[in-house]
Amino acid sequence: MRLLGGGLRALRRDYQLWIMIAPAIAVVLIFNYIPMYGIQLAFKDFDFTKGLTGGAWRGIDYFKQFMDSYLFTDLMRNTFLISLATIIVGFPAPIILALILNQIRRKRFKNVMQTTVYLPHFISIIVLVGMMNVLMSPETGVVGHLMKGLGLGHINLIASTNTFIPVYVLSDIWQHCGWNSIIYLAALSTVDPQLYDSAKIDGASRMKMIRYVDLPALVPTIIILFILSMGNILSTGFEKIFLMQNALNLPVSEVIATYVYKIGIVSNQFSYASAIGLFNTLINFVFLFAMNAASKKMSNTSLY
Amino acid sequence: MRKKVVGMITVMLAATTIMSACSSNSNSGGNNGGSNAGSNPTADSSAGSGGNSGKKVKLTAIMTKHALTKPLKDMEWLQQVEEKAGVEIDWQEITADWDQKKGTLLASGDVPDLFIGPNVITDADMAQFQGLFQDLSGMLDQLPNVQAMFDAKPETKIIAEQQDGKIYGLPKYQRYWPSTATRQYINQKWLDNLGLQMPTNWDELYDVLVAFKEKDANGNGDPNDEIPMDWPGGIGGYFNPAYMLGGEGITLTDGSPQGYFVEDGVVKNYLVDDRYKQLVVFLNKLYKAGLINPEVFTHDYTKYQSVARGEGDTAKVGFTMGWVASDRFGEQLAPQYTSMSPLKATPDSNVSWSYDYNSLNYGVNQLVVSAKSKNKDAVMRFINELYAPDMGMQVLFGSLGPNIKDNGDGSYSVLPPADSKMDPGTWKWTSTMADNGAFYIPDSLQLTLGKDMQEVLEQSKPIDAIQIDVDNDVFPTFLKYSSADNSTMGLNNTNVTNLANTNFAKWVTKGGVEEEWDSYVKESEKAGLKQNLEIMQKYYDEYKKQ
Amino acid sequence: MALKGLKGSELTFHIALYALCAVIFVIILYPLYFIVIASFSDSTLVSTGKVLFFPKGTSLFGYKEIFQDSRVWTGYRNTLFYTLFGTLVNMLFTMPAAYVLSRKEFKARRPIMFLFVVTMFFNGGLIPTYLLMKDLHITNTFWVFILPFCVNIFYLIIARTFFETALPAELYEAAVMDGCSHFMYFAKVALPLSKALISVIGLYYLVGHWNDFFTGLIYIRDNNLQPLQIVLRDILLSNQVFQNGAGTGGGAASGGYAQRYADQIKYGVIIVSSLPILMLYPFLQKYFEKGVMIGSVKG
Repeated sequence: MRLLGGGLRALRRDYQLWIMIAPAIAVVLIFNYIPMYGIQLAFKDFDFTKGLTGGAWRGIDYFKQFMDSYLFTDLMRNTFLISLATIIVGFPAPIILALILNQIRRKRFKNVMQTTVYLPHFISIIVLVGMMNVLMSPETGVVGHLMKGLGLGHINLIASTNTFIPVYVLSDIWQHCGWNSIIYLAALSTVDPQLYDSAKIDGASRMKMIRYVDLPALVPTIIILFILSMGNILSTGFEKIFLMQNALNLPVSEVIATYVYKIGIVSNQFSYASAIGLFNTLINFVFLFAMNAASKKMSNTSLY
Repeated sequence: MRKKVVGMITVMLAATTIMSACSSNSNSGGNNGGSNAGSNPTADSSAGSGGNSGKKVKLTAIMTKHALTKPLKDMEWLQQVEEKAGVEIDWQEITADWDQKKGTLLASGDVPDLFIGPNVITDADMAQFQGLFQDLSGMLDQLPNVQAMFDAKPETKIIAEQQDGKIYGLPKYQRYWPSTATRQYINQKWLDNLGLQMPTNWDELYDVLVAFKEKDANGNGDPNDEIPMDWPGGIGGYFNPAYMLGGEGITLTDGSPQGYFVEDGVVKNYLVDDRYKQLVVFLNKLYKAGLINPEVFTHDYTKYQSVARGEGDTAKVGFTMGWVASDRFGEQLAPQYTSMSPLKATPDSNVSWSYDYNSLNYGVNQLVVSAKSKNKDAVMRFINELYAPDMGMQVLFGSLGPNIKDNGDGSYSVLPPADSKMDPGTWKWTSTMADNGAFYIPDSLQLTLGKDMQEVLEQSKPIDAIQIDVDNDVFPTFLKYSSADNSTMGLNNTNVTNLANTNFAKWVTKGGVEEEWDSYVKESEKAGLKQNLEIMQKYYDEYKKQ
Repeated sequence: MALKGLKGSELTFHIALYALCAVIFVIILYPLYFIVIASFSDSTLVSTGKVLFFPKGTSLFGYKEIFQDSRVWTGYRNTLFYTLFGTLVNMLFTMPAAYVLSRKEFKARRPIMFLFVVTMFFNGGLIPTYLLMKDLHITNTFWVFILPFCVNIFYLIIARTFFETALPAELYEAAVMDGCSHFMYFAKVALPLSKALISVIGLYYLVGHWNDFFTGLIYIRDNNLQPLQIVLRDILLSNQVFQNGAGTGGGAASGGYAQRYADQIKYGVIIVSSLPILMLYPFLQKYFEKGVMIGSVKG
């Protein structure tokens, strides 16, 4: 009774908040939650005549099939390595870029820089990969010429198993670093200018100001984005890897997403693809869960 | 009031139509025959006799067309077909990403009346989405023109029929295409410049390529800019060195993209065949000697094509494969190249080539009808008009008038492009559905082909001169498998080709095939190759028994 | 010059900073410059590496082909509408929700947040979603671009984090003392102080709509409703079609003209499709200037 009364009081107090969040909850329930019955497909046969989820129950057969499949270990290793490399190298890059851009005092120059770094984000992947093929051709590309000039010899960057991950990660940074730095720039804009002034009076160097004023302002955003990116540990992009694949780099470039696509295209393996997708999701979720718990303990920042 | 009267009349008309064609309608009755006559009487009213009642039946259709192809509503011949059939079709024209779209469309059951396109709905789709597509086998009396094709070319019926005799997809018969897609070209001018003989076997080819590399074959003063040999990359498929397996007596089918071929009635896969190992050893020898384009496994199709076009009069590539010289090397350089006779592995080996006639001339599942269509009679009328004997050439080459000339004596000629900058191939793809359409070109039709097709047929002559045993050495690619077998084979093939591609590229560029061969064969078999061969042999034997 | 009168350490910092910027600038800019010159150059020369610093074999062929295609213009019109209207709806749904979730006193915030986060990972797959859209009768209408998934959880979390950290608690307490309700506080205080955030999230949504081709691909049948990206993707993928075309034999006879068409168009398409959204950025940039927010509070 008291609980109910408390609830009512809270409702009366917070009714405006409820009104403000109701539309968001509604669209999430409708568009995200209603279709979730489709997850069953991972445990059932897809049988068109019996409706989407009317097929025979298969339990974890499709999961087993994936884990026993002959490419399983390769796929897992490749997927992990690629996304780990993307996180380790790719995650700090926009932070550093934002801090650098934030140091530029000349407004004109800063604007030009900012606009430039954000441009590559808009290049479609098909063109990006096509361009990489042209520029990195060992015989005719500008990178090929450059490497010859530096005495690095003939390395076919797009064909070697050793260079696939670096090329993938670095081109990713090239493309998205500027775009991803926007959020950090926005966070930096909230820093109170007085903090800089007082730091100056204390005789702090520019490096020190970055360390003690700018960086702390970014920490909450960094933590949240880091948790979220850990929740994507098994979700490499599909299209770019697919387009970058060739017979020579395939041993390191076949990942879960491209494999699912390949088996999907030969025959509509809806159940098998759902099972692999769900497997992927579960691992991602575990990572996110662990990161979030750790972050809550250490920095008191958490997603939910 | 007036509406009611019209309604009455249409219902009566519809009733007569149904009676006159009751044998066919009873077939579709199970699913939605009721709604067929009941809910859409106006639609059926024009079913009378070829739509002379004025009101056109609205249909929806999907066509997977080539990206260059102009809007379907601008095609004169298609307007005529729709007119004659008394239908008006709302076309959804798809040029990209069909595979992504298709899965969702089919699984949700949200399909149009009609699909047109090359294998637009695959046999696997038909097996999986039971009840979604219309069985046409009982409706052939409504499709006399299709029946005529089946009568004149019985093989078209064989490839259309499922194992149980049902027909879900109609094939096309294209008639004019050559018996192989791949032709090998060598630069005759380079041979002449260096005083060399046309190679006839692998060893001679090696010597010729070495000469191409070491000397200034194209005579531009730079002895290092020649690429002796090039292909689009990978193993298997058209325009690929797998074609050279013919020199060891293997007859490929459609370039055998996944390695399967038939030899004396036994289904095999060259990917685990010793003769393939010999080829890899040979290619590795070429690669080590610097005779193969170092970018062969990484260049994209654009670059592959561009390189062979050379610079002005200076050719860059010595030996390669392609569809036709003018396409492969450009108009300017094409005269320098000769189409070669298939090479022997050793001077005394048997020689064969890739037999692609069936897939180039008989496309399967070019037209599929939805079982849910509310206007099946109208759909049938449209199909029948589309397969009319004088319509086929227009579907393939374009409308009478701008694309085809009527010579007045019962014969026709394909016209050159109206835009002189355009090549005939592009012109064809721009003007009409072309190879992606569904049509029948009777063997009796007198049609003079365009310059491009004449060139293809001319350059196929050295290959056609070599006999192959089509009955026992060619794999019937149109076999229909059960849904379960299909998906098993699909999964296995993904794994097997993955393994094959990776190893092929590695062995050619770095060597090591001799040492790794045995374990590779074992691994391939484990990845599903053995299982697939068993399945395919079973179906092949059944097919042979018929 | 501005560098004059700087202390030693400050000077080193400046030199290092500008040198670093110059390097970044060149690395980022060269490939972009390459796209521009490639869009004017002969495609054969481009793919064989002859075009490095200056356009060669210049022609406007690619652009002519793009702009001759009437679908491009319809696509532009549609995309503009989807982008503007869609972003408006996005913001109306996202910002209030983000504000609510940032309020510590809102008891339900953790379960609701969890409910939202789950959807970032689990989804029912394409087919059930398609069926839902079909049942709601929004397939093949413009609504399918606007309503579904109009709350992006990722952006919601960013916005919430911003509200949590950037709005001082004292501000709200002071506002409540003045008799301010949540509605008033959100509209009159929180939003005006969050211009930087609004421009970032707005930009994210805008670009998301602008680049969205998947919705058009799956849910739209009518060519008159297709967004620009689908039209351009069709043009772009024609290049890939040739490779597959070669595989089906018939397509192999497509010929050189078609090949050139596809190649040169490739780079032009990028410029045509992204120019409008690129021009937007400088306008939003001023909101990222330092101290805009706090300064306005003080002012």
